[in-house]
Amino acid sequence: MTGRPSQAVQIVGSMLVALAIVAVAIAVVTAHFGPASSAELEAREERIELREEAREGRREAREERLEERREG
Amino acid sequence: MRQNPLTLEQLIEDLTRGNVTEVKVVLASVVLALAAYQLLLAGVVYGRVRLPFLSPEAAAWTHRATGRVIVVLVAVVATMCLAFYGFEEGGIHAVAGLVVLGVLAVKVLVVRLGRLGRLLPVLGVSLAALLTIVWLTSAGDFLGVSG
Repeated sequence: MTGRPSQAVQIVGSMLVALAIVAVAIAVVTAHFGPASSAELEAREERIELREEAREGRREAREERLEERREG
Repeated sequence: MRQNPLTLEQLIEDLTRGNVTEVKVVLASVVLALAAYQLLLAGVVYGRVRLPFLSPEAAAWTHRATGRVIVVLVAVVATMCLAFYGFEEGGIHAVAGLVVLGVLAVKVLVVRLGRLGRLLPVLGVSLAALLTIVWLTSAGDFLGVSG
């Protein structure tokens, strides 16, 4: 007798190995991509756009205040 | 009436959030990794590899379950490939990809029919070799592994 675990334990174990292989494959490949994925680049562009819009809004408000002061 | 009907190409781009190539590379790499595990499991099933903690019956069960996952992933990757990139610039990759689908179909048929079981090891090894070629000519190229 080799003292093998029960059939169910063997199946669960070998399926867990398959899951681990999938996880390692995903981790290794995504590590190669770095931060250059288009989703991340899009998010970065969106953040820059929002920042520029906020800056534009502040400038316009400042100009309006100056104009009001001049008129008043 | 919709102005822009949702095409498969558009659906793939939406689902992958524009990272079609990256998702395809990840899925293809998972398929290759599982294919390597399948070879080991097949070795246990046919008695070529003896592991003290894994019986041929349990290995066969996992081989079948993992095989089903591979079939689904291959179908997804092939759909993404054909719908998004088409056959242009396909070359070896396109030919090997089509042969993979053919061998996969034959293997499933042989398993379902329960005859010609002696062909299964040859089909399995051929499938693993073809998947490696397909991976090397796309994902491997993208990751800078091949050439």
